[in-house]
Amino acid sequence: MSERMRTLTEPFKIKMVEPLKVTAEEYRKEALKTAKYNTFLLRAQDVFIDLLTDSGTGAMSDKQWSGIMMGDESYAGARSWEHLESVVKSLTGMEYIIPTHQGRAAERILYSIIGGPDKVFISNTHFDTTRANIEYTNAEAIDIVCKEADDVASFAPFKGNINLERLEQLIQERGPKAIAAVIMTVTNNSSGGQPVSMANMKAVRKICDKHQLMMVIDGCRIAENSYFVKHREEAYSDKSYREIAQEMLNLGDAFIMSAKKDGLVNMGGLLTLKDKELSVKCQNLLIISEGFTTYGGLSGRDMEALAIGLTEVFDGDYLNYRIKSTAYLGEKLKEKGVPVVWPIGGHAVYVDAKKLYNQIPVEEYPGQTLAVDLYIKGGIRTVEIGSVMFGKYDEQGKLIAAEQELVRLAIPRRVYTQSHIDYVLDVFDDILEMRNQKNGYKITYEPQFLRHFTSHFEPINK
Amino acid sequence: MAKINKRSWAEPYKMKMVELLKVTTRPQRVKALKEAGFNTFLLKSDDVYIDLLTDSGTNAMSDQQWSAFMLGDEAYAGSKSYYKLEKAIQDFYGYKYIIPTHQGRGAENILSQILIKKGDIVPGNMYFTTTRLHQELAGGTFVDIIIDEAHDPYNEFPFKGNIDLKKLEVLVKKHGAEKIPYVCMATNVNMAGGQPISIANLKELRAYTNKHKIKVIHDMTRVAENAYFIQQREEGYKNVKIKDIVKEICSLTDGCTMSAKKDALVNIGGFMGTNDWDVFEEARNLVVVYEGLHTYGGMAGRDMEAMAVGIKESVGDHHQKARVGQVEYLGKKMEEYGIPIVKPIGGHGVFVDAKAFLPHLTQDEFPAQTLAGEIYIDSGVRTMERGVVSAGRKPNGENYYPKLELVRFTLPRRVYTQAHMDVIAESVASVYARRNKIKGLKMTYEPKYLRFFQAKFEQIK
Repeated sequence: MSERMRTLTEPFKIKMVEPLKVTAEEYRKEALKTAKYNTFLLRAQDVFIDLLTDSGTGAMSDKQWSGIMMGDESYAGARSWEHLESVVKSLTGMEYIIPTHQGRAAERILYSIIGGPDKVFISNTHFDTTRANIEYTNAEAIDIVCKEADDVASFAPFKGNINLERLEQLIQERGPKAIAAVIMTVTNNSSGGQPVSMANMKAVRKICDKHQLMMVIDGCRIAENSYFVKHREEAYSDKSYREIAQEMLNLGDAFIMSAKKDGLVNMGGLLTLKDKELSVKCQNLLIISEGFTTYGGLSGRDMEALAIGLTEVFDGDYLNYRIKSTAYLGEKLKEKGVPVVWPIGGHAVYVDAKKLYNQIPVEEYPGQTLAVDLYIKGGIRTVEIGSVMFGKYDEQGKLIAAEQELVRLAIPRRVYTQSHIDYVLDVFDDILEMRNQKNGYKITYEPQFLRHFTSHFEPINK
Repeated sequence: MAKINKRSWAEPYKMKMVELLKVTTRPQRVKALKEAGFNTFLLKSDDVYIDLLTDSGTNAMSDQQWSAFMLGDEAYAGSKSYYKLEKAIQDFYGYKYIIPTHQGRGAENILSQILIKKGDIVPGNMYFTTTRLHQELAGGTFVDIIIDEAHDPYNEFPFKGNIDLKKLEVLVKKHGAEKIPYVCMATNVNMAGGQPISIANLKELRAYTNKHKIKVIHDMTRVAENAYFIQQREEGYKNVKIKDIVKEICSLTDGCTMSAKKDALVNIGGFMGTNDWDVFEEARNLVVVYEGLHTYGGMAGRDMEAMAVGIKESVGDHHQKARVGQVEYLGKKMEEYGIPIVKPIGGHGVFVDAKAFLPHLTQDEFPAQTLAGEIYIDSGVRTMERGVVSAGRKPNGENYYPKLELVRFTLPRRVYTQAHMDVIAESVASVYARRNKIKGLKMTYEPKYLRFFQAKFEQIK
């Protein structure tokens, strides 16, 4: 995997720009104080480079914008719906296509039908909203990612794989009847955007067949995963990215997609199914909470843009640019001595803040500290994925820390140039100079759940 | 010599972008309707000439909106576009705290979950399908407290959306005020035919609910259309601007849900508003689960921009005059042809009385469904059944037989011209001329829930 990086040329040129505000460090300190040191509470206009998420933040192509203008806003049977439906049918090979306003709505609909008390969901790793939707039905969500994923610093080609042995064991322990579904998240976001191999997916299919279990593919980054399959799994080197995605999706009984990632759009989601009876149940819920079956909470123009985006995303030049530009940031950071999750995944670089700021105890949130520092030093917005996001308290009110203290630098699709990325790298030089600092942050306000979105912080000065 | 007509309005806008329509032939339409099982919901929009299925999300945006659209800030958190939307809602509606959602039903879901406890009673001025469903799912029971006049299609009372306070009083006495978390007050009542509530009635409601510590939640999807009727019909409001009437309506309530796809002139979007910090805080936590982070709530940044501009445009006096004026024009035209329609003519559509139109059909032969199909075949105009098919079945399997058996002609905002209106009225008149020859339908496929969306029919030979 050591393809040498030369200058990476984008397979597109810029057709529309959005000016950015350049701010000074003093200004940013004030802005952050107002935002209670939570990057989610910053105003977007005070951010120079926004790496908070790759979800819904991509730039659309001129073809997509043209599709936006062609959007058919009819309530029922719109042309834009027919266009989207045919694109998704041909990609997934599934018969029943349900549009939703975004991915979490698709999850909620499916999991509230197949979940419930005493049910178990098994996944390589459940994403945070997925877990929330499952637990909301009083079902249990169990993560069993492969062993290779435990070592964040070493290379393995498919660290997003599920642990097949554990899967068999769990099925024996719980009994197949208790298991609502096996969910394969591709790529595996929560474990660093790591890919899942086709071999692993096929093995899961076989196990599901043996025990008559439902296999759900949560594939908001299915195209990025296809890139890794083509380049790391020998049997697939001659297949196109789209063919690989088609083959993989065909293994599933259901496919859930937040289209805000690999759909290359700012809004949208999908639920697709093979089973008619289940799809009717899902459609009933859809009408209650999302919208009629032929728009599901999306405007006609957004369906049009998605139909085009789902075609563009499998372009070889695009995927090559996408994966390699993410890797560029990660590899350069590693060269500088910044500890990163390895290998670099498809959509983001994850910095190990516990290792970088090893003087700050987890109770003082080293990840949050790094996210704050990146904003103050460079106007860069990132997100903590550590004990702020996943931490819990024990009965004495003591923090039960998350396994890792990471900061995610998610790269929006087709938005930032290499100069922007080089700027981020420069800012890390400042960060490295601060690596021996001892002062972290404490939480001064937190809501009952999903606290990372709205918590308030204060610096601790020792 | 040309006579001077009583032409009372012209559109306060001109066309800047157009969408071409396909003109179909009668044999093509016969075939398309047959394939759609005589259900207008199942027609492809490509086969429709004039689409009056709904006024929801089918509006034409202005150049100002399109221009704002391009400024959409798609940042996940703290988007500039969110702050513009927040300000527009605070300025024009006056609610302190807002939660954006992907559309109105998303706001209804969140609000119902926060305010309603199991066993609660939720009174309202007539039900709406999704609103009632969310109230029921949250454990509440909806009770209709609209005035009796609303149920009579020919009663010309000017404010058929009013609440009967005596009916509310009965509920308070029977269940206790603590069992009533709020009164759900809709401005322009859709199911009553787009009928308004008066400020006088709303003030009485406010006084009564204040006394009993009951909240008033405003289902405000057509608030500006309601305000227009107040300006035209209520004493003391003739010279008050719609903008100010809208603000006054909102000020008499504690919170709101809104499907912005109607009044606010956009194709997608909604929000929940409240003046209560605790409700807001809870909503901000819930919206992340169902919709999206509280600074986008399931809407793209550009859609928040378009909504902020749309809200401002929607409360313009000239805009509403043309909007409601167009509906009135169509209704009057139909009346001139002798077509039986619901009176007074509402704000967002004309409702044709199918029972009176096709008196030779029994309700089991689906007169409104039949009529919607006949109108489509005649001219490619798509309308919607609001009668026995929409009403569905009781839990014991029997059909509900609603008093009103209507075909709804809903007008999208700023989309069709007066010439389109003439085509529609002429088409209905030509179907009316041969009404005696029209045969009814029988249902050949019936889905278990919300059957009107997907049911299929065949013509009775």
